[in-house]
Amino acid sequence: MNTISQKRRKRKQALIAYSFIAPNFLGFAVFTLGPIILAFIMAFTEWDGNNPMQFIGFSNFTSIFSDDRFMSALKNTIVYSIFTVPFTLAVALGLAILLNQKIRGRTFFRTVTFFPYVASLVAVAAVWNMLFTPSEEGLINQLLINVFHTEPLKWAASPNTVMLTIVLFSIWKNMGYYMVIYLAGLQGISEDLYEAAALDGAGSFEQFRYVTLPQLKPTTFFVVIMLTISCFKIYDIVYMLAGGSNGVVNKSAIVLVYYIYEEAFRNWKLGQASAAALVLFAIVLIITLIQFKGEKNYAND
Amino acid sequence: MRSQSTNKLIKNIIIYILLILLAFLMLVPFVWMVTASLKMNKDIFVIPYQWLNPEPRWLNYIDIWTKIPLAKYALNTVKLTIIVTILQILTSSFAAYAFAKLQFKGRNILFLAYIATIAVPWQVYMVPQFIFMRNLGLADTHLAIIILQAFSAFGVFLMRQFYEGIPDSLCEAARIDGMSEYKIYAQIMLPLSKPALSTLTIFTFVNTWNDFLGPLIYLTTDSKKTLQIGIKMFISQYSAEYGLIMAASVLSLIPVLIVFIALQKYFVAGITTGAVKG
Amino acid sequence: MKKKILSTLMAASLLAATLAGCAAAPATAPAPAGDAAPAEEAAEAGSSDEAVTLKWALWDKDTTVYYQPLIDAYTAKNPNVTIEMVDLGSTDYSTVLGTQLSGSGADFDIVTIKDVPGYVTLVNKGVIEPLDDLIAQDGIDLSKFSGVTDQVTIDGKLYELPFRSDIWVLFYNKTVFDNAGVDYPTNDMTWDEYDALARAITDTTAGSRVYGAHYHTWRSTIQLDGILDGKHTIVDGNYDFTEPYYNMVLAQQKDGVCMDYATLKTQGLHYSAAFAQGNVGMLNMGSWFIATLINGIASGEYDVSDWGMVKYPHAEGVEPGSTLSTITALSIPTSAAHKDAAWDFIKFVCTEEGAEVLAGTGNIPAMTNESIVDIISKMDGFPEDSKDALITSHTYLEMPANENSSEIETVLNEQHDNIMNEVVSVQEGIAAMNEGVQAILGE
Repeated sequence: MNTISQKRRKRKQALIAYSFIAPNFLGFAVFTLGPIILAFIMAFTEWDGNNPMQFIGFSNFTSIFSDDRFMSALKNTIVYSIFTVPFTLAVALGLAILLNQKIRGRTFFRTVTFFPYVASLVAVAAVWNMLFTPSEEGLINQLLINVFHTEPLKWAASPNTVMLTIVLFSIWKNMGYYMVIYLAGLQGISEDLYEAAALDGAGSFEQFRYVTLPQLKPTTFFVVIMLTISCFKIYDIVYMLAGGSNGVVNKSAIVLVYYIYEEAFRNWKLGQASAAALVLFAIVLIITLIQFKGEKNYAND
Repeated sequence: MRSQSTNKLIKNIIIYILLILLAFLMLVPFVWMVTASLKMNKDIFVIPYQWLNPEPRWLNYIDIWTKIPLAKYALNTVKLTIIVTILQILTSSFAAYAFAKLQFKGRNILFLAYIATIAVPWQVYMVPQFIFMRNLGLADTHLAIIILQAFSAFGVFLMRQFYEGIPDSLCEAARIDGMSEYKIYAQIMLPLSKPALSTLTIFTFVNTWNDFLGPLIYLTTDSKKTLQIGIKMFISQYSAEYGLIMAASVLSLIPVLIVFIALQKYFVAGITTGAVKG
Repeated sequence: MKKKILSTLMAASLLAATLAGCAAAPATAPAPAGDAAPAEEAAEAGSSDEAVTLKWALWDKDTTVYYQPLIDAYTAKNPNVTIEMVDLGSTDYSTVLGTQLSGSGADFDIVTIKDVPGYVTLVNKGVIEPLDDLIAQDGIDLSKFSGVTDQVTIDGKLYELPFRSDIWVLFYNKTVFDNAGVDYPTNDMTWDEYDALARAITDTTAGSRVYGAHYHTWRSTIQLDGILDGKHTIVDGNYDFTEPYYNMVLAQQKDGVCMDYATLKTQGLHYSAAFAQGNVGMLNMGSWFIATLINGIASGEYDVSDWGMVKYPHAEGVEPGSTLSTITALSIPTSAAHKDAAWDFIKFVCTEEGAEVLAGTGNIPAMTNESIVDIISKMDGFPEDSKDALITSHTYLEMPANENSSEIETVLNEQHDNIMNEVVSVQEGIAAMNEGVQAILGE
């Protein structure tokens, strides 16, 4: 009797939960998840978008892994993410804490930080290119020559520095976006916790270490995942900075989604594009699973 | 006492110097946009860039309305953005509540599936998705864009993470009081998640407002096109009218900024209830 | 649990529907192709008065001067036909068109083809009709297209008919030459003479900088100089012939005769803006720039007042007048609802009548002759002495049709970029091109 009613209660609770999820999930499943599953099937076929699909097993995977451009894209994307994720995260968190304080002109500073994210990419890239001009007249190169007494760099025009340029650019462009998320996350931390910590004699660093950071864990989880995903999906920035006026993205700067775009819409090899996407998906999934485990451990604390 | 206040003063000065430096760095692109929007096309990418323009070309701000039906496009964008944002907020916060605060079978798997799909680049499923939508008769409709944008996994993920930060004890207490889950969501969670809702609104608004490739592929009838397609129309095969592009971009930035400034004020004082575990 | 089953079911049915949609497409697509058409065609084309609306996929609807005049001229003769333009945008035209034509549900009757790689992918996808039977039946003389139709014939079949053809010429700023006291370029120059001329007018003094030549960042501006002797093509797998041209331009770059590639690429300076500054002596560019230039000068935006055009420079021992060309063409999608009516319109646009309309707007039609060149040169702002520049002896497509066009293009672009950025030497870059393209051709 007891177990039956317990079961019933559980079922009722589950039904309520499903009712919460349904509106979003149905739309999502039909219009996004379905096509995505189809895209995964496509990875094992040869398809140009029109002629009949042909199952070809793992051929697409063997051919992308023997493709120089794909291997460069994979390498560049990973290098890019390794540098971009931690720095963007640190800068965004720092800014959020700074702009969460009661300072004069806070709204102004918050808005301004968000600017590069919303401003037209053409404008942002143009300004960036002005600073990082490959010739000696460039502002940053002037700085390198006159202040640091080093050789000027060719930035986006050289295969050695093009990824560095892209990393710096994306940190600058995107830190405002993640700052907003952290800013919202900071509002969820109760003042009481800080007061309690202060009473225990904690200084501002200890408060940050023992209150802010742990309380921000769900937000950080979100930021890390989203940042990783968006780094792995980087595309337009590369096209803008490395492609320049002729749109030629070299092996030194090509990234996964650019490769996917090229395969899908220039060569119409949708199968190969999907195979590359599946590789990207697998990498991100592994990172997400590791993070997810970490989050659960925190919840059990 | 005095040394403490001098310390504070020094600290403030450093903070402000940092902030002003930062503001400068962030504002340069915007200043570039505005100055470029007042130039003739040929002068925009010339090196060195001329920041002070003795003859601002205000005509650019008139030309953008007459060369293409920009007003119509703007109206379409406003309509799409508002509908998508509202749907996104409602469905995401609703679903996120279940993922954060309710127990049910398959919760983690389903949630992981949600997140994981964010990682799939749109470019790979764009073609089958388009064919599917066209078979449903949705090609060249605003409904297609709304459907594509409104049910994103991103919103669910964002909201769920903020709900996670709200102590479970609040919900438990309400349950004991006999509140239904729907009531808890509407009366406790929603008001508490204003910062998160603001964030989601800003992001969804910006995304939909700036979306380009989606509308480009789906909307072929002139009267249905959006602002971003319009702006790209100034880039033609043989020339690009960057003066006009920047003029239109500056204007299109205004609604985004208004939304941001209006909503960022919710990024203050969150939960102050004493019922926090500790 | 039920929800889960439901959602799984939904996903499955969605999949089935999509797959069916994709799979069903080709089954119906090739059937109503050209072979069956001629009989009904003849009956319908001339006489039918039935109202027809043709949908025409194109780009830059509002800024292209000839679409509306072409439509007006056609509908004046065929009042039962309405032509609806669908603008797919210029920047991503090939992507959008390829997506729209996927799965045979598109309702276009006529599609414009922007470039050869885009054309080849549509042919490979089987979404555009071969036109050979229609061409034969209406007796269209392909020799009037100065050989370009041969260069886009794939496996003996032609799937597009060009209506616009742009040739490459050498633009020059007369003022720059006058100031330097140097004679203008001529219609018969070898590359060495051209190089010497560029150096003669260059001024590297800061503040009064004059560039003798300007090369846009496209690979065409350098690589394709080498195919004009008629002995090489850009798809044959050996690119040793590009070496002298790379050497020439790199030397010019080093000596400040032309702007630096790396800067031009990152700054995104458009060639029209570069020329408009008034300190560029010569610019090798396609004839599409004529209209832009005339408009820019007329509106007072460009700091150029007096300009001219001459034929492309040529290699030693080659007849002058060989040049590159780019075509814009029309095709009929296999899914088109009104194929016969579409063909009738295409026939009109691509042959004499359409050619005159096009020339009247200052653009060069694909079917061209002396009288057409006369029409163009009468345009306001067209420099009188430059008419001969438009008369060609041989034209070579920038990229002839090859089933691997787009992949070859990727390799050539990459090495062009490496050579011009001086990341690799000219020899290394060319060796990499040879290797890369041969690998593609050998597949």
